[in-house]
Amino acid sequence: MREILKKLSEAFGPSGYEDAVREAIENYIGADLPENCSVEKDRVGNIYFHVENKGKPRLMINAHMDEVGFMVTGITENGFLKFGCVGGMNPLVLGAKRVVSENGIKGVTVTKPIHLLSPEERKELPSVDSMCIDIGAESKEDAKKYVHVGDYFVFDSGYVEYGDGFIKCKALDDRHGCAIMCKLIDDIKAGASTEYDLWFAFTCREEVSYSSARCAAEYVKPDLALVIESKAVQDIYGVPEEKKVCILGDGAIISFMDNSTIYDRGMVEHLISLAEKNGIKYQKNKYISGGNDSAAIQKSIWGVKVGLISAASRYIHSQANVVKYEDIDAMYKIAYSLITSEILDIKE
Amino acid sequence: MDFIRKALKELCSLMTLSGYEKRGKKRLFDLVSPYFDEMTEDSFGNFVFIKRCLKKNAPKLMMDAHFDTVGMMVTDILEGGFLSVVNIGGLDTRILPSSEVTVYGKEEIYGLISSIPPHLTRKSREKRSNPKIEELYVDTGYSKEELEKIVSVGDPIFIKGEYTELLNGYASASGLDDKACVCAVFDAVRQMEKSKMEYDVYVTVSAQEETGKCGAAMCAYAIKPDIAIITDVNFGSSEGDNEFETVKCGKGAAIDVSSLSDRRLTRGIMKLLDRENIPYQVICEPTNTGTNNELVSVTGLGIPTVVMSVPLRSMHTPVETLNINDISSLSNVLKTVAYTEMEAL
Repeated sequence: MREILKKLSEAFGPSGYEDAVREAIENYIGADLPENCSVEKDRVGNIYFHVENKGKPRLMINAHMDEVGFMVTGITENGFLKFGCVGGMNPLVLGAKRVVSENGIKGVTVTKPIHLLSPEERKELPSVDSMCIDIGAESKEDAKKYVHVGDYFVFDSGYVEYGDGFIKCKALDDRHGCAIMCKLIDDIKAGASTEYDLWFAFTCREEVSYSSARCAAEYVKPDLALVIESKAVQDIYGVPEEKKVCILGDGAIISFMDNSTIYDRGMVEHLISLAEKNGIKYQKNKYISGGNDSAAIQKSIWGVKVGLISAASRYIHSQANVVKYEDIDAMYKIAYSLITSEILDIKE
Repeated sequence: MDFIRKALKELCSLMTLSGYEKRGKKRLFDLVSPYFDEMTEDSFGNFVFIKRCLKKNAPKLMMDAHFDTVGMMVTDILEGGFLSVVNIGGLDTRILPSSEVTVYGKEEIYGLISSIPPHLTRKSREKRSNPKIEELYVDTGYSKEELEKIVSVGDPIFIKGEYTELLNGYASASGLDDKACVCAVFDAVRQMEKSKMEYDVYVTVSAQEETGKCGAAMCAYAIKPDIAIITDVNFGSSEGDNEFETVKCGKGAAIDVSSLSDRRLTRGIMKLLDRENIPYQVICEPTNTGTNNELVSVTGLGIPTVVMSVPLRSMHTPVETLNINDISSLSNVLKTVAYTEMEAL
C-alpha cells in the first residue's frame, strides 16, 4: 500500500482539478477487472469501482481525491502571482513554501522579510492578501507566458518516511483514503468476497464543499456508507490532553460525531465490534472538530446511514501532512472486515 | 555561469550554521583548491584563501563573504519525540510552521516544525498571534527515549530548502545568504589573470556573521589588508516593497553607500564601473549595512572598506531566492576592482 500511497499523494490534484489523481486511480483499479466488477464515472468527476451483487444492500466506501491548494487570482506588474487558497489553511503554514503549478512551473511563496517589518507588523499574523508566489518572472508579460489567472498551484512537497513509522507528504488528506480503497479493490480482484452490492467512490472537491459526494450518493443510492478520511489532530507537545483530539499510532479513529455529522449509531457500533472482534487498534475522537463528505452523503437521496473511520493527521492542510502507517493499516483492516463480514441489518 | 551554478548547489547543500562552519571545510577546499596559492584556516572557523599577483610587495585586497547561515539549536528533548529549539541568528517565526528540518545529532534525522491546522484554530477564542520560537517544536517521530539516544541538547538544526531553479535564471535555496557571495568571490578569483592583478587577493570565507559579525574582523586583523570588500546579500524587492530600501533582482550587483564604509573607495569604484560600462545598482544605507563591514572597517587602525551585494528575496527563509546573473555580475565587478589601483581615504 505504501507504493500507491506515495504515488497518489505526490500526484497533482487540488479541488476541481483532480485529473492526474483520477487518471492514476483509473489506471490502477481498471486493470484485470473481474467479471462482476466495473469502473464507472459520473459528470462531476467522481470515479467508481462497482462490485455487483444484484438485489443486495448497497454499501458505498468513499474517499476524496482532491487536496488543498492555491489559485492564481492575479499577476502583478512585476510578475508576482497573487493567489487565493483552495480549501482552508492557517496562514502560518503558507509563508516561504515551495509550490508547483498545474504546468509544472515551480515557485515559492513570498512574505515581506522580517528585517523590513515595522514593530507593529511583526506582531500581526501574516495574511494571504499580503503574500504572493515568486516564479522568477521578469514582468507581468513574462509571467503570462507560463501562468494564467485561474491556474492552480499545490505544495511541492514529496513523500518522506521518518521517525518511528511516520509518513509526511502533501495531500495525505485524503490520498491515504484513496490508497486504502485501492488496496481493498486489489483484495476483491484477488478473490475477497462480499455480500454487499459494493461501491467504491473516489470523490472530488471535498476541500471546498462536500457537494461532489452528494452526486456520488445520488449515483450509487447506497443504503450504507463508510467514509475514509483524515482527522485534524494536535497531539503535539504542550497541547492539553483534552485538546489533542486523537493520538497518532493509537489506531483508526471511529467517530460518533464531528462538526458536520452525527454518525449512524448502528454503523458506529458495528465498526467498533468489527475492530474488537478482529483485534484491530482503534480510538475515539475526544474533541469535536472538522467535517467531511459524510455530511453530504447522510442527507442525500432518502438518507444514508453513514459511518466514518479516519487517520489521526498532524499538520493537515499544510505542505507537511503527517500520518502513521500503522493507523492507515488499521483503517484498511476495519474497512476490509466491514466489506467481507455479514450484512449489517439496516432496518434497525 | 556553470561554475556558479555548480558551486551554489554544492555550497547550499552544506550545513554551515553559525558556529558549525568547519563542517563544510573539506568540500569547500576541494571545490576551490585549483584557484589559490594558499589555503588556511584559523581556530574560530574562518577560512582564508590567497592568490598572489606578480608584483612584489603588492597591496593586499581582502574579499569577504560569510559562510554561516541562520538556523536553530536543540534546547530540550520532550515527551512524544518533540524538541524545543532556539534560533541561531534572526529567524522569522511566521514562516516556520510546517517547514522541514534536519537535526544533526549522532546521526542526521528528519524533522518537521509543528503547526496547528485551521480545523482547530477556528474555534479558539484566544486572540491569535505570531508564534514565539519557544512555542514551536520540532517533530521527529521518535519516542523520547529513542530520541535521547540520537540527539543532545545543543545539537544544530538546519532548515531544509533544497536548491531549485526557477524561471529566467532565478534560483531558490536555504542558505543563499551568504553562499551567493561566496560563489561570486570564488568565481571572480578563478578568472583573475595574475599578470593583470594589482593586489594580492585574500578571500575570507568567514564564520559567525549572523550571530555577531565575528569572523571577518578576526581575518582582517590577521591579514591587515589595504582595502577590504565586504560582500553580502541585500534585500531584493518583491511585491509591495519600498523601492528605496530594496534592490532589484536580475539588474546586477549593488554597491552599498553607507557612512560606515570608505567614501572615496566607494565613489572610486562606482566611477570605475561607469568608465568600464559595467552595470550596477546603488543602495543607500545611511547608517549601518548590517554586514561584516561594521567591525572590519574599525579593525586595527581602521581599514578602508566597501560593501557590495547580491539582491536576495525572502531573506532568512528556506526559500531565499536570487537571480544567478547577479552573482555573475558581482564576480565581474570584483575582478575589475582587482585589476585596478584604487584610492582610499
